[in-house]
Amino acid sequence: MSASFEFTPENKKRFEEILRRYPTKRAAMLPSLHLTQEQEGYISPEAEQYIADLLEVPVVDVREVVSFYTMFTRNPLGKHHIRVCESLSCWVRGSDEVKETLEKELGVESGGITEDGEYSWEVIPDCLGACELAPMLQLDGYFEGNLTREKVVELLKKQAASKTSGK
Amino acid sequence: MPTLTIDGQEVTVDAGTTVIQAAEQIGINIPRYCYHPGLSLAGRCRMCLVEIETFPNLQIACYTRAQDEMVVSTTSERVLSARQSMLEFLLSNHPLDCPVCDQSGECDLQNFYMDHGQYQSRFLENKVKKKKAFPIGPHVILDQERCILCTRCVRFTEEVSKSNELGVFNRGSRSVIDLYPTKSLDNPYSGNVIDICPVGALTEREFRFKCRVWYLASQESICTGCSRGCNISLDYNGSRRAYKAGGRRVMRIKPRYNPDINKWWICDEGRFGYGFIDTDRIETPMQRTTSDLEPSDWDPALARVAETVKAAYSEKGANGVGVIVSPQLSNEELLACRELFVEKMKLTNVAALNPWEEPGEADDFLRNADRNPNTKGVEDLGYSGDAKAVLEKAAEGEIEVLIIFRHNLADGEAGKLLEKAKFVVYVGTNWNATAERAHVVLPGATHAEKDGTFTNFEGRVQRFKQALLPIGDSRNDSQIISEMAAKLGYSLPASADEIFEAWKGISLDELSGSGSSVDPDTAVQA
Ligand code: SF4
Repeated sequence: MSASFEFTPENKKRFEEILRRYPTKRAAMLPSLHLTQEQEGYISPEAEQYIADLLEVPVVDVREVVSFYTMFTRNPLGKHHIRVCESLSCWVRGSDEVKETLEKELGVESGGITEDGEYSWEVIPDCLGACELAPMLQLDGYFEGNLTREKVVELLKKQAASKTSGK
Repeated sequence: MPTLTIDGQEVTVDAGTTVIQAAEQIGINIPRYCYHPGLSLAGRCRMCLVEIETFPNLQIACYTRAQDEMVVSTTSERVLSARQSMLEFLLSNHPLDCPVCDQSGECDLQNFYMDHGQYQSRFLENKVKKKKAFPIGPHVILDQERCILCTRCVRFTEEVSKSNELGVFNRGSRSVIDLYPTKSLDNPYSGNVIDICPVGALTEREFRFKCRVWYLASQESICTGCSRGCNISLDYNGSRRAYKAGGRRVMRIKPRYNPDINKWWICDEGRFGYGFIDTDRIETPMQRTTSDLEPSDWDPALARVAETVKAAYSEKGANGVGVIVSPQLSNEELLACRELFVEKMKLTNVAALNPWEEPGEADDFLRNADRNPNTKGVEDLGYSGDAKAVLEKAAEGEIEVLIIFRHNLADGEAGKLLEKAKFVVYVGTNWNATAERAHVVLPGATHAEKDGTFTNFEGRVQRFKQALLPIGDSRNDSQIISEMAAKLGYSLPASADEIFEAWKGISLDELSGSGSSVDPDTAVQA
């Protein structure tokens, strides 16, 4: 994770394509940020500045967008990232237990990253949009629902197993 | 041009006018937070909801364009209940710390709540905690808990100062206004966010806890910081001595709306440049007797000036006395000087401008490099020639008596020349090296302490009004000139009003009655 940020040559091409889809540069903010996060795993202040320069907007505008959307993160994440929904339905159906289990199993608090760099997790206070699965979490973008303590432990085991068995 | 009805009153407005502006034209002030006429529309606060016939829902008056035959109500039951609900929302996380808030007394949360509040709170939950009272720049303190997220300040930094220091970060009830991390709100116009913040979230570091606003009195004035002539209000201790202000009388400066000059804004230098009004003032006339300057009464000081002037005059005629007036003086004072020194005494060595003066910072918004409020007045009233030639003659001994108004001419090349001058009379407001080396010092009044006009660089003649009494024994400069004239055997009017009327044919009140400045094209000509 370097101090400066730049799109890879391939992502530069993708960025140019993105730009072509919008009437103004500013309008390409969200897909550009997705691309940034995809490349580096998070959006650093340097990346914010890079995007601001590319889109010709003040850097503060980029930070506004990054901080507004919970899908963007400003901190480096683990290889696998877990996001726990804490919105109303999930909370009523037991998101607290999910949180406690993750904290215990991974040994880090929400927002933290495990020592081996494998996992990071965070609580998302806003609805992740899957109330029918409450309480739920997202593992690397995939929904896991109807969680209990046991199911969370099992999920982590499964994930670890898929690692050792090799991809 | 659409004609619409607002609260039963018909009004015809220009196409494109919004309902909130149309209402304003007939004196109806719709409550608002985020709307500001000098900024883009945000539509965030929902305070200006009005009911418009044929629209099923209430509409925000700041965004809705006036249309022909629109029938608008700003006071229907639905509107009033919407206002009450919006206030309940806006206050749900507000700390209600009015007793320790500087905005108290001029806060639109307080003001609108008085009219539209729910009074009986239904809010049982805990309030969201945010960062309180931290400096975000040299002049501004931010309290995130008091903020209602109207984004006026953010739009100001985007659109007016174009410095982009502030933003809205995070989402929902955790949203906050904050600086972009590496930045500081230190642009040359930063103070304006204090004025436009409708609540106590942005307060002035210099003014905080110095005086409750209801003890302030306010007077219309003109900024003397540069030749732009921005319109300002001088807010000063009115009904009570501010016990924490260290005897300061002027407590703060606020911009005064003038569509032709400064709109709603002023620069920080002008806003915070009032210190000289209450510090380092020359409070009594002074005379050099042996080697020291000693306080004197007015009469002997003026008599000594008159005697020396007369002696020089009889020895060397009109060349024996030199005068350097100043672009800090009002038109009326410049007129009085012109009448006495040029027209009556026919002095040949009269100058006005200081060629050594350091220019100030300039930009393409308000700030001009010329730091004087009345350089154009000086030119329009026929003063030419700069101080250098006059100082040189004084140094050579050709000029026996040199009368200097306001300028500090004691540094560098000027200082070397001044040192050789035989007899120096200084008429000014504040102590400086020139006053300290004068033989007679006559204390003048600042623009806060007298009436008069300045002509801005575009030629607009603008009035400033007296807010305070001249400090100590100091006197209005046109009075000083008139008294000096009397001692020399001439009769000159002492009041700015009289001088102005003789000049322009209207009274000062008639000039300022228009509410803003006189347009150079339509102004009565000098
Ligand atoms: S700090 Fe004041 S001006 Fe800025 S958003 Fe908050 S309430 Fe509005």
